Amino acid sequence: MTTTVGRYIGQSVKRREDPRLLTGHGRYVDDVQVPGTLHLAFVRSNVARGTITKLDVSAARDLPGVEAVYTGADLNPDIKQMWATMTGPPIEMGGQTAYPPVSLLAPGDVRYVGDPIAVIIATSRYIAEDAADLVEVEIEAKQAVLGLREAMANPELVHLETESNVSVAMPMPEIPEIEALFASAPHVITRTFRGARATNVPMEPRGLTVHYDRYRGEMEIRAATQSVHEIKAFAARLTGLGESHVRVVADDVGGGFGQKMMVLREEAAVIAAAFKLGTAPVKWIEDRRENLMASNQARSEEGTLTFAVDDDGHILAVKCDFIEEIGAYPPSAGATAMLAIGVFTGPYKIPVLIPGCAAVYTNTVGKSAYRGPWALETFFREQMMDHVAHELGMDPIELRRVNLIGPGDLPYTTATQMVLDHITPTETLDQAVDMIGVTAFRAEQVDAKAHGRLLGLGVAGYVEPSAIAFGVLNSDPAVLTMDASGKVQIRLGTGSHGHSIETTIAQIVATHLGCDIDDVAVIQGDTATSPLGPGTGGSRTAVIAGGAAQTASLILRDKLLTIAAHFLEANPDDLEINNSVVSVKGTPQAAVPFAQLAMTAHMAPDMLPAGMGPGLEVVTRYQPPTPFTWSNATHACIVEVDRETGMVDIKRYVVSEDCGQMINPMVVEGQIAGGVAQGIGGVLFEEMPYDDAGNPLATTFLDYLIPSAPEIPDFEYGHIESMSGALGGYKGMGEGGAIASPPALANAINDALAQIGVPPLTVFPFGPSQIVAAITAAHV
Amino acid sequence: MKPSKFHYYAPATVGEAVLLLAEHGDDAKVLAGGQSLVPLMSLRLSSVGHLVDLNRIAGLDTIGRSNGHLRIGALVRQSAAEHSAIVVTEAPLVAKALPHIGHFQIRNRGTVGGSIAHADPASELPAVALALDAMLEATGPNGARRIASTDFFHGQWQTALAGDEMLTAIDFPVWGAHSGFAVEEVARRHGDFALCGAVCGVQLDGERISRATIGLFGVGSTPIRATLAEQALLAGGAGTDLTAVANEAAASIDPSGDIHASGAYRKQVTAVVVRRALTKAIEEARS
Amino acid sequence: MSDTISDVTVSLTVNGRRHTVTCEPRKLLTDVLRDDLLLTGTHVGCEHGACGACTVLLDGAAVRSCLLFAAQLDGATLTTVEGMANADGSLNDVQQAMQDNHGLQCGFCTPGVVVSLTAYLRDHPDPTDDEIRIALSGNLCRCTGYQGIVNAARQAAVNPRAKGVAR
Repeated sequence: MTTTVGRYIGQSVKRREDPRLLTGHGRYVDDVQVPGTLHLAFVRSNVARGTITKLDVSAARDLPGVEAVYTGADLNPDIKQMWATMTGPPIEMGGQTAYPPVSLLAPGDVRYVGDPIAVIIATSRYIAEDAADLVEVEIEAKQAVLGLREAMANPELVHLETESNVSVAMPMPEIPEIEALFASAPHVITRTFRGARATNVPMEPRGLTVHYDRYRGEMEIRAATQSVHEIKAFAARLTGLGESHVRVVADDVGGGFGQKMMVLREEAAVIAAAFKLGTAPVKWIEDRRENLMASNQARSEEGTLTFAVDDDGHILAVKCDFIEEIGAYPPSAGATAMLAIGVFTGPYKIPVLIPGCAAVYTNTVGKSAYRGPWALETFFREQMMDHVAHELGMDPIELRRVNLIGPGDLPYTTATQMVLDHITPTETLDQAVDMIGVTAFRAEQVDAKAHGRLLGLGVAGYVEPSAIAFGVLNSDPAVLTMDASGKVQIRLGTGSHGHSIETTIAQIVATHLGCDIDDVAVIQGDTATSPLGPGTGGSRTAVIAGGAAQTASLILRDKLLTIAAHFLEANPDDLEINNSVVSVKGTPQAAVPFAQLAMTAHMAPDMLPAGMGPGLEVVTRYQPPTPFTWSNATHACIVEVDRETGMVDIKRYVVSEDCGQMINPMVVEGQIAGGVAQGIGGVLFEEMPYDDAGNPLATTFLDYLIPSAPEIPDFEYGHIESMSGALGGYKGMGEGGAIASPPALANAINDALAQIGVPPLTVFPFGPSQIVAAITAAHV
Repeated sequence: MKPSKFHYYAPATVGEAVLLLAEHGDDAKVLAGGQSLVPLMSLRLSSVGHLVDLNRIAGLDTIGRSNGHLRIGALVRQSAAEHSAIVVTEAPLVAKALPHIGHFQIRNRGTVGGSIAHADPASELPAVALALDAMLEATGPNGARRIASTDFFHGQWQTALAGDEMLTAIDFPVWGAHSGFAVEEVARRHGDFALCGAVCGVQLDGERISRATIGLFGVGSTPIRATLAEQALLAGGAGTDLTAVANEAAASIDPSGDIHASGAYRKQVTAVVVRRALTKAIEEARS
Repeated sequence: MSDTISDVTVSLTVNGRRHTVTCEPRKLLTDVLRDDLLLTGTHVGCEHGACGACTVLLDGAAVRSCLLFAAQLDGATLTTVEGMANADGSLNDVQQAMQDNHGLQCGFCTPGVVVSLTAYLRDHPDPTDDEIRIALSGNLCRCTGYQGIVNAARQAAVNPRAKGVAR
């Protein structure tokens, strides 16, 4: 069920991004060649923890074609400031700081395998890598600090500058009344769940070209980024140049999923190196081995949950204790568990939540954002629901129903003081259950078991905190201009990297302005022309940039109607707009086209209504009415597990989702599919293991396995459109596919295995080796 | 990930190629399909000072029948073999193994000889060569010699080829009527290296099994013949308890594990793939 | 013995146009296409032949350009994604089906998908759903979850046997 608003909103309009991307005419960072560009390669540590006892770059420097070689001693002293806008400047509070110690290149010691030690700048990447091979590095290795609880307790420090390996901790409080509640509860169930360390794997790795010309005093950066303004601000602070002297451009960007949201270690080093060089452009294009080894990690999290439940399955209270691994140099040191706690209760009425969390440094690559960074709350909670149902002998779907927030409960204030409204957990559960056909499936499951086949069903629901709209992320801008020909340009602070923003925002503007969609140009990704915005991430663009675009369109529409009313000697309320023509309702011949209105406003302002100034420019910002705009969905899937090989075949995958007013249903479904595929990867295939010495073991695509087409099923979608409270009724949903899929799949696999008495697996990945081991251990 | 520098040669004959190998010794490598070698060079895991490109040598890409064998030239592309009617009829086990190799784009360049000479123990074609008792023709500066497949695979990525030899052809024995073949493997994703796999062939004489072969891959440093299991089949006939035969095959191996699967998994699931492959092979032999 | 390695000069016909390139023997075809011929549509996703973003046609066969040295290809005929469109510049069936079915989001894997699918459907015009997915197994995509690509393949194929309705 989809609703169409006006001419374009709610329509699966084909993308204007596609013609160039389908024909090889995209413009990604590596596609732009500027004569004289130099190429950068990193020399990296192959030791996880240790002191650099020798670093001789002389042979590298002497190689013909090498322009410069810089080490930590060369670049680190140049740092003026180094912090991420989203996290804020470093504030020392009682010994705890939100950042690891800052450095661009290893400061005399290395802290993870892949830690950049030096940069080589040469006339080609080939020569730069040749030179990197000539750098003599000796490192006195020390035992790496690894694990979660082990690292927390380890007196050996990842960072000598800190007092412990725990960067941020909020110990779980002991409250006598709560303990009494748990003591008296009919059922108390405790489980621990563990995610598998993963990484984002955008198909385009990271990269940027930085050109600082010291005589022009300007720094120009072209980057594969989700936020041009973030790189600009970061670079301005890092170098002391100031934002007026830094320009950042991103045309096409090949995915990010959070990896390209923050400025990570290498990008900062490239900026500093180009600044120091001060002459030619310096280009660094990350290769896949670097991307898998040294970009970022995610999902290495553990959660211990204790649920107090009554005999009917009502959840009385929950304790949740999270530990997240943040590696050595995360761009900011661990706030995802806090957000996870804030939204932990999800779609359920859980009256009491007692949280604890800790973020721990290890000698591995730093943690950064990955699609739904807080989603450990759903990964663990939704698996826990099935465990609780099992303990009580209840159907997992019924247990959810008993606890779900229903329409009559809205607005609902959670145990963490979040106010949930405009969500539809029961409706999406009902739709998902109906679409997957639970009753028919249970019969099929029994029959299959009789024939030696194991089928399983899993369900998971969540509420997504989309469109964060407070603090640094409070709003998004839109600058809407109409040129003298009557066509419009909208400038945004977004950073589309696959999000179809050029199309969807044009849908919004064209609908509300009343023009053809081809008359709307969408401009983003250039700090010289794009107003300040946080880029694209956190499922914010539809709500906040969409709201800004809508606001701007309505303001411009208003002005056009006022001018037209003046020309047509009519009341603005009696006018309508069709295809860029303003006319009197019922009198189509009394009409004036946009072009004429625009020409007047630009070139003959004396003909404008009294009191109206020349020009047609709208500058506006939009902040939604609530700090989060909630969306929700329920996923359901059916799997078959081969009990002899442990291989999992996903037979059906259903998503019932509510993202409010859909702008472009095709785009919504594409976002869901991509997210679910990543979730499937995280359960069945993806893992970044390290050995005991801290060596990463999956640094090529032969070892880090992302799903390919045969591993992914056809998706079935159901759409519930309940309007949000934000302008347009939009809700963000880009991350949702990746949030519910891991537990839905985990639950399905465990449901299949339960039929033969195998206790549920709780540690990702559920690869064939792990499944067969579990079956073998259960002696079934 | 760019390769380091190398001298490049594109000889027109086998003779020129092997002279180059003799001249440059360990610092020289041959380039056939490049699907295994070039990644190693780009990762700088393999240092090659002299690259001898075999792709200009004529006459190494033919497929033909001779003397009860199917002769596949070493430079026959995997995709050409896959779509060759004569391979399907004369060496069905080769035809069944080929679609498991990587993806079609890889097979468009990868060669039959290259895969066998690369000798990755998790690959299908070395196991097929071993299972079919193929004869491998190696040519060096002193001419050609024939190496039995049982003598060919020495270890992971190590073969009987001398430093100045290249593989020029593989002769696969042709089995007669009433034979059936199957390939079964478990891989994390389609086209990945197998966690464990079996290539099997049986030939029936009534209900008696007159010929049997079981080749295992992914479970040792080389492909492995499960000879005890084969003997059990020959002794037991088409009605044999295949689970017992498969368990015999699994009992004979001691695979090590890696991040994708434990050794215990590979050993245990080998029994499954052998049983499934034998079931299919016998069914095909009967039809 | 001198260790100076001479450049090689190769003649390549790419998308119907003849080019002469001089480069080191070690220069990968991907880099020659992108840097020397300014055909940046062929993308570098992994440089070890796994992701498929670099797929081009060599004498009509889909291959990984990151696993070829330009030095090997004197006289070769190549087709890249820039040569996939119809002679009149319109999108070919695969490209149009990709747009119709939202088979791309960020577009980085797309050139490899377009080239691979065009070649595959040319040779297998009537694939089943399973065959389509297996054919796509050599092209990794992180954005689409493959659904749009599979639907595009269904539409572009001469296709009575595959189930599923394209948008």
